[in-house]
Amino acid sequence: MSRLELRAIRKTYGKAERETLKGIDIDINSGEFLILVGPSGCGKSTLMNAIAGLEDISQGAIVIDGTDVTTLEPRDRDIAMVFQSYALYPTMTVRENIAFGLRIRRQPKEEIDQEVQRVAKLLQIEPLLDRKPSQLSGGQQQRVAMGRALARRPKIYLFDEPLSNLDAKLRVEMRTEIKRLHRRLRTTIVYVTHDQIEAMTLADRIAVMKDGELQQLGTPKEVYETPANLFVASFIGSPAMNFIPVTVQKGDRGLHAMVKSDSGETIDLPLPLALSAYENKEIILGVRPEHITQIQAHKEGQPLVARGRLTIEVTEPTGPDVIALVNINGIPVHCRIDPDHPVDPGDVAELMFDMSKTSYFDPATEQRITL
Amino acid sequence: MTEMVRKPFSFNRVLIYTVLLTAAAVYLVPLVVMLLTSFKTLGDISSGNLMALPTHWTMHAWHKAWSTACTGVSCEGVHHFFWNSFKMAIPAVLISTGIGAFNGYVFSKWRFRGSDLIFSMMLFGCFIPFQVILLPMAATLGKMGLANTTAGLVVVHVTYGVAFTTLFFRNYYVGVPDALVKAARLDGAGFFTIFFRIMLPMSVPIFMVCIIWQFTQIWNDFLFGVVFASGDSQPITVGLNNLVNTGTGVKEYNVNMAAALIAALPTLVVYVLAGKYFIRGLTAGSVKG
Amino acid sequence: MSTQIGVLSVPAKRPASRVINLIQAWLPKLVLAPSLALVLVGVYGYMIWTAVLSFTNSSFMPSFRFVGFAQYARLIANDRWHTACINLVIFGVLFIGVCLALGIFLAIFLDQKIRQEGFIRTVYLYPMALSLIVTGTVWRWILNPGLGLEKLMHDWGWTSFHFDWLVRSHLSVYTLVIAAVWQSSGFVMALFLAGLRGIDPSIIKAARVDGARLPTIYLRIILPCMRPVFFSAIMILAHLSIKSFDLVKVMTAGGPGYSSDLPALFMYDMSFTRGQLGLGAASAIMMLGAILALLVPYLYSELRSKRHD
Ligand SMILES: Nc1ncnc2c1ncn2[C@@H]1O[C@H](COP(=O)(O)OP(=O)(O)OP(=O)(O)O)[C@@H](O)[C@H]1O
Ligand SMILES: [Mg+2]
Repeated sequence: MSRLELRAIRKTYGKAERETLKGIDIDINSGEFLILVGPSGCGKSTLMNAIAGLEDISQGAIVIDGTDVTTLEPRDRDIAMVFQSYALYPTMTVRENIAFGLRIRRQPKEEIDQEVQRVAKLLQIEPLLDRKPSQLSGGQQQRVAMGRALARRPKIYLFDEPLSNLDAKLRVEMRTEIKRLHRRLRTTIVYVTHDQIEAMTLADRIAVMKDGELQQLGTPKEVYETPANLFVASFIGSPAMNFIPVTVQKGDRGLHAMVKSDSGETIDLPLPLALSAYENKEIILGVRPEHITQIQAHKEGQPLVARGRLTIEVTEPTGPDVIALVNINGIPVHCRIDPDHPVDPGDVAELMFDMSKTSYFDPATEQRITL
Repeated sequence: MTEMVRKPFSFNRVLIYTVLLTAAAVYLVPLVVMLLTSFKTLGDISSGNLMALPTHWTMHAWHKAWSTACTGVSCEGVHHFFWNSFKMAIPAVLISTGIGAFNGYVFSKWRFRGSDLIFSMMLFGCFIPFQVILLPMAATLGKMGLANTTAGLVVVHVTYGVAFTTLFFRNYYVGVPDALVKAARLDGAGFFTIFFRIMLPMSVPIFMVCIIWQFTQIWNDFLFGVVFASGDSQPITVGLNNLVNTGTGVKEYNVNMAAALIAALPTLVVYVLAGKYFIRGLTAGSVKG
Repeated sequence: MSTQIGVLSVPAKRPASRVINLIQAWLPKLVLAPSLALVLVGVYGYMIWTAVLSFTNSSFMPSFRFVGFAQYARLIANDRWHTACINLVIFGVLFIGVCLALGIFLAIFLDQKIRQEGFIRTVYLYPMALSLIVTGTVWRWILNPGLGLEKLMHDWGWTSFHFDWLVRSHLSVYTLVIAAVWQSSGFVMALFLAGLRGIDPSIIKAARVDGARLPTIYLRIILPCMRPVFFSAIMILAHLSIKSFDLVKVMTAGGPGYSSDLPALFMYDMSFTRGQLGLGAASAIMMLGAILALLVPYLYSELRSKRHD
């Protein structure tokens, strides 16, 4: 059980003029599963390498269980890492791959054998132990890579996009497996992924990064429902959150905003009173597609619910839902419609806006407006 | 092209094969001439022509080239030179390859501030005309007491071979994923452990390429041999040159050819047995130069 | 975590001492140090040393009486050096030109899914495994005016055939070209073949769909893609010709007279048989200059194109 603290970590690569990490502060609790997401090149791998000690950092500190390990060599940090490319040693068998870290640490032979057996059993790779990595399928290689990390029982596991080279089905299987493993072992894990679902299902907390800066750190629910800024809002969720710039107005029944459909009809969207500081000012509404739906009888009459007639431009059936594209204020907006209420492109449909889950952003700072 | 595979008997096909095989025959002519001539008697040489078969096959020229032909003042054939070349080539190849492997490993997997600059500086060593270092090198070898010794030649070949071997290994190791080294470091392995346990076992092909390249280069070298060696340390290329250029009176072309074949044999054998690696070395060593 | 599974004892961690870490950190540099020293002394130091020698009046022994550019002036005024330089230009242009033409030609032919490709390639390339001394020896025999090629042609019925370039002073340099081309053209072929194989086959497919015929595809699409191969082949061949010493030494020894002399042979003769160290050093520096004149633009364009990627 190990606690990992990242304190104001800064990193500039060799001659690069830009900082790759600009002061990352994260406390990762013992046994926590932290997921790191962010666009390509934002510094996720750099941060992982820094935690592992594979890259020196320019400033800041890395603390494991209260001990500052910033200057320690990787081998003294007791961390294991699973790489996107798996990085299996091509000339060694699976058994030797798993045992390598233990051998280097001069453990007795019986203990090594025992440990290899345990890991192999855990990951169900016992029949593969005497094969070379090149004789394994992608999924099997992935298991071996995990096995190699598990064998040493390190304090912390780092996973850098471990599943991204697998096909969709295997990825789902391995995802479940990793979740099960974490349940059982309760070790601290830092995990990088580009896959939204992986992030939402695996994480205890998600850290969203952009350009070397931490944008938000929170549980999947927090990050999804109360994104800290426009970037997080647009990055998390698929299809992405809709952003509609509006002007806050005062009406008889409280605050509201008027938007126009493509046919010129106005739709009156109610806003919470807490936005009164923004009266007559522009804000950005962040509405997730699932909050623009067909008419749902049970929501009828609730305070922050509105209706509007909109022309469906495109439909994309996903199975459980139909994603429909409409136009509001000239901006394309995605809605999520129950397939039992069939809509076709060209139809004018009556849609329901549930504004109770809407996020509000300040267009100048792009930050969330906390109510 | 696929179209051509479908029509194997087209006129184009025949033309292509004719051209290729004719060219191959032309390339082979010198080797055939060498072989034929080396088995001829002097009489056969003056009565027949280059491609005529010997009327009387004889090993006489080979014997003479090996043990009695005159190479300058002494008349003991080229066998001393032949063994000298081995005594020089084997240590020089092994040392330069070993150093190159470590250098390549550092330049690809343990880069540090300035390592790229050092690599470029070493690469430049591949390009200089060696004439520019002959005089100082001769002076240095003299000072160190290595002038005219096999050890001296080994030093020279290692000095100017390391740039190539480093280049080979660096380019090979650059293709090895960095993640392997990272994984091994997390597993607790250090600089040498990673090299010997991870990198070396997967370096067999590049070792072959490098060893074959270095062996061919060093065996075939003439410039260093003729400048830095004398008498009993001279390599086979110098011996052959002496033999060819000593002839007084009648030129014994059969002996010359036999000696040339002796000089060519080790590299030819290597080429035939491991041509794949030789070609890879040629293209890798030069394209990336 | 070990509480849940297994009884394996986790060994107490023994963080390596600072000293060991420090040594580890310095290991890569330590490993490089000997090679760096070799290169600094053996390449750069010696280059400077030779440059210094070229400004002295050293004859049999190095002396340190500086004479400025006197050796260079002597060199430029020297008839033999003059011939050597002209020969180098003739040799270099022909050698490079013929090797390229032959190499490209053979590579394209070999690229047509030839059944015996491996064997044929082996045949084209074997001269590259030979020493230039061997090459010179055999070509000296083949081109021998009395008993060589001439006799063969006469015997085969071409009685008017006449070939005595080896002993004709204004033609002997061409015999060097013949031998050198035989030795190196297969290598150029291999370079181009590798280049051809590196081309994305879908480019060719696209061109075929566009209706281009094979010769057009090669001329307009493939060869332009091989610019880098052209450059490196030219670099290597130019480099070989400037350094070429072995071949001329064994084939003609610069003769007849010094009509087939080359700079490399000139440098050797001056330095090691004539006892004119200063002049030899000056000629070596001139050779270095020639190679740098080729190399610097080449490296510059290489680096620039790498930046663009
Ligand atoms: N060795 C290096 N030298 C210089 N710059 C580097 C180096 N490694 C990475 N960078 C730069 O640092 C930035 C962050 O890279 P990093 O690999 O951490 O991104 P990432 O978030 O992992 O991206 P991805 O999702 O594509 O894996 C990038 O701009 C990259 O170009
Ligand atoms: Mg990454």
